[in-house]
Amino acid sequence: MAFSAQTEKYSGKMGTLTLGSGDQAITVGGQAAMPFAAFDGELPNKPIVAMEVYDVVSPDWPAAVVEPFKDVINDPIAWAKKNVEEYGAKAICLQLISTDPNGDDKDAAYAADLVAKMLDAISVPLVVWGSGNVEKDAEVLAKICEVNEGKNLLVGPAVEENYKKIAAAALGYGHAVVSQSPIDVNMAKQMNILISNLGLPMDKIIMEPSTAALGYGVEYSYSVMERISLAALAQNDEKMQCPMINDIGKECWKAREVMLTDKEEPGFGPDQEKRGILWEAITAMDMAIAGSNLLIMRNPKAVKLVEECIDELMA
Amino acid sequence: MSKQVIGAGIRGANVVVDRVEGKINAAIEKYGKDQAVALPNTAYYLPVIYGITGEKVETLGDMLPIMEKCRQLLADVPVDNCWTPYLGPGLDSGMAALFAFDMEEALKYLGDDCPYLASKEDPEETDADIWLGAADDIILRKRGVEFVDGSAPGFAVIVGAASNPEAAAKIAKELQEKSIYVFMASNNEKGTSFAKQLVEAGVQIGWNTRLVPFGFDHPSAIHGVGFAVRAALTFGGKTPGDHVGVLKYIKDRIFAFIIALGPVCDEQYAAACGAINFGVPTIADTDFPQVLPTGVCTYEHVVTNIPESEIVTKAIEVRGLKITISKIDIPMPYGPAFEGERIKKDAMHVELGGPKSFGFEFAYSKPLDQVEDGKFTVIGPNIKDVEEGGLLPIGIWIELAGRKFQEDFEPILERQCHHLLNGAEGILHIGQRDIVWMRISKKAVAAGFTFEHFGTILHAKMHNEFGAIVDKVQVTIITDADEVNKRMEICRKTWTERDNRLSDMNDETTETFYSCSLCQSFAPTHVCVVTPERPGLCGAYNWLDCRASYEINEHGPNQPIAKGDVMDERLGKWKGVDEFVIPASGNAFESFAAYSILVDPMTSCGCFEAIAACLFAANGIMVVDRDYSGETPCGMGFSTLAGSVGGGLQTPGFVGISKFYIGSKKFISAEGGIKRLCWLPKALKEASKDMIDARGAEVGIPNLYDMIATEENGTDEETIMAFLTEAGHPCLEMEQLMEMM
Repeated sequence: MAFSAQTEKYSGKMGTLTLGSGDQAITVGGQAAMPFAAFDGELPNKPIVAMEVYDVVSPDWPAAVVEPFKDVINDPIAWAKKNVEEYGAKAICLQLISTDPNGDDKDAAYAADLVAKMLDAISVPLVVWGSGNVEKDAEVLAKICEVNEGKNLLVGPAVEENYKKIAAAALGYGHAVVSQSPIDVNMAKQMNILISNLGLPMDKIIMEPSTAALGYGVEYSYSVMERISLAALAQNDEKMQCPMINDIGKECWKAREVMLTDKEEPGFGPDQEKRGILWEAITAMDMAIAGSNLLIMRNPKAVKLVEECIDELMA
Repeated sequence: MSKQVIGAGIRGANVVVDRVEGKINAAIEKYGKDQAVALPNTAYYLPVIYGITGEKVETLGDMLPIMEKCRQLLADVPVDNCWTPYLGPGLDSGMAALFAFDMEEALKYLGDDCPYLASKEDPEETDADIWLGAADDIILRKRGVEFVDGSAPGFAVIVGAASNPEAAAKIAKELQEKSIYVFMASNNEKGTSFAKQLVEAGVQIGWNTRLVPFGFDHPSAIHGVGFAVRAALTFGGKTPGDHVGVLKYIKDRIFAFIIALGPVCDEQYAAACGAINFGVPTIADTDFPQVLPTGVCTYEHVVTNIPESEIVTKAIEVRGLKITISKIDIPMPYGPAFEGERIKKDAMHVELGGPKSFGFEFAYSKPLDQVEDGKFTVIGPNIKDVEEGGLLPIGIWIELAGRKFQEDFEPILERQCHHLLNGAEGILHIGQRDIVWMRISKKAVAAGFTFEHFGTILHAKMHNEFGAIVDKVQVTIITDADEVNKRMEICRKTWTERDNRLSDMNDETTETFYSCSLCQSFAPTHVCVVTPERPGLCGAYNWLDCRASYEINEHGPNQPIAKGDVMDERLGKWKGVDEFVIPASGNAFESFAAYSILVDPMTSCGCFEAIAACLFAANGIMVVDRDYSGETPCGMGFSTLAGSVGGGLQTPGFVGISKFYIGSKKFISAEGGIKRLCWLPKALKEASKDMIDARGAEVGIPNLYDMIATEENGTDEETIMAFLTEAGHPCLEMEQLMEMM
């Protein structure tokens, strides 16, 4: 008797999310099977990497982190262009660190203006990520939505405490929202319900179930994401059928194993850059295998590694 | 009766439609049918007509078919001597009046004498007049977002005028303080308008102060409806012409209401009838018949004879508007970080209640009209009257009211005092009911703390966290010893009644149980089914808690389960429960038995207070709790047991339970209940003595307590068998557990 492989049939399917507008638009999600399990169902869109750009860079960044961008590190627009033109970024994620009230406390108007300029400068979709300060993010992201009406930005993270303001602005001015929850399946679902109850359609929401780096709890992120995927596919839970995004670069490049030089920790070996690249690439691949659709990453070499790996798995 | 109001509305609608028809015909005569008509800078044509009918009015000629539609909608005025239904015709006629108003306003933009300032957010002193007319799409989008994100909880359309400018300013301020937009239109019979009164009183008006002067006459009120309709189309994604969708969106999301000040004319009755279609009630300060039956609006439709000073509160209540308080107005910081704060003796300014004095905290509900929201009173010495290191008795007396409030929620909100008050820096709170004990720090007193601030905190937090069930919160702080004692009597009596209420409930007479899937985050297949006689296994959620949690957040982890037909009374199996459990457990389980440890027992997450386990040799059941770290007769300690029972599994022979469940009549009743209980850790046994004695007496074994073994009698089955035999424990004589599987 001929061998016939066992396949899983799923009743549900992930929704999709479109980033950017016009010719530059990219669609992610829509998978009808678990990640890379094309033999079980259709995987219409491969996971995409959005390359990070910071509006301000901490002086603590090790040289190895700064190296690929050292000529543009103080100019986010140039940095974004370099990522697209030189490193082939398919999308950009602007990290608005300077708006943090505990840091530079730049105002919402500055951020909205920076986003407008960046949109003019690049030809790929843009993700805008707040500083993580709940109150300030609401103010800043809402302003960005208003000023950049109709550009279909992806803004976030929206959390339980500030989602109303961010999602309402996204709804009013035509953008999509990152719905972030603290490593908890139920919270992830509840956030989707709360945001969609405001009127934002599910295809304008992407989930960030909280990302942890390799060695810092990556397995928790993995298992929550796997649970979300199973709920969406096997249980056909509509409120779980949003694609997923992971904020990876930020988590990886602050890991102790990446930050320390071999003088500080001889056992880590001399090649700090390689360590960082692998740390980021492995974390990103973990997330992709857990079901991520959009990976926010920093280092161009790590991005290349991950994109090659994804292409191979999708081939 | 309300027929009078509806009759007047229908009469008014006929007048309006006639008048507008005349104006349209005159305009066609002057400009021709092809003359374009539009409101300024909007993609929504004449928004009310466009949203409800889907028709785009772009020229004067386009108005004619709409006029036809108005005529179809208009009804005859109901006659006095014949009882026919009138609400439906009244609503239709009202809608006709709104369509007519929509066109009448558009006509104003024709020609050179438009009474409105073009596309402006605020009128300025240099402007000829104050009226803004229709909002353009830019204003709509900017302001509409606030309705979606909740920073604008709703809008009031104020028609007519207040008794004087000061009264107008007061009403406006009250609405502003609640972040409610005020849309102003029309004037009273003396030609006075609310907006002009505000200007006279020196109040700044315009979109930026949320006090928007639409227009001087009755038709201009339509811009309020137009705003709401455009919001439904823009933010609600409703299709023009989907009138059901648009009306429902506005009713559920926009929270608009009309405040009618001064005498109301037929034309305004017509507008009020039209507004009811959108779930928008009218609240008036004059005395005319009310339209009370609920149905279209959330609560009543037309409420009258409300004094000016109470009209805002009443309007908010009738519309079912929920107010959130963004900042807790106290002189010290507030946040979860301060919950764990301790206040040592030398940092303390005053001690309230506690072991050296006495006190209580008590929450109860009253009818809505008997509670004054945000009123805080202190009876007895306030903080300034106490010396440093002082001691006072304390009574915190909380009066609650809400349209959806139920008596059963009282203890749940009362229990929140601890968590809510502790959030303030400089307040230490311990205990509940009549064992409450508080300390206020010197730092807080120096910052300006007074006892009224207890009220400020409770009022703000209860509105914000329990807004779904609470509409009004009034707080009285009592530090006068006699008064504390007097009220303590009432509290104690009520607490006893409350305690009895849940214990009087049973599963047989309760139709709705509640699920709890809070723990699915780590135990994906776990579902608790909480019944009045079987609390959640964590001990933190009983049936009342789950019900309140559902009322507060209907998308939360506690969902109602209609238990449906009984499938097995002994095991505690109901059709509705199984139907719920299958999908809720991710298809992991097909059936749940509420009362059995052997047949389809409930799953256990990991939060159980205790674990019940079968001891087959003894033919009984043991229970071990989390605090006991030793060995047990089933051969496993608590943590080993927890490892094999938890994680969302059904494990026949074992089940996670709350300690309180031991005292329930339904405690593992399928296998014989309390009579099977043969081993407990000593500490748990002592803590449960009252429950065991009570249940023992009920089943005819009053000395059951003495027959239950503890670790002192043995931690293996053989040893305790000897004890049980000697004690004559009833389990030895019962049906063999093994045969009940």
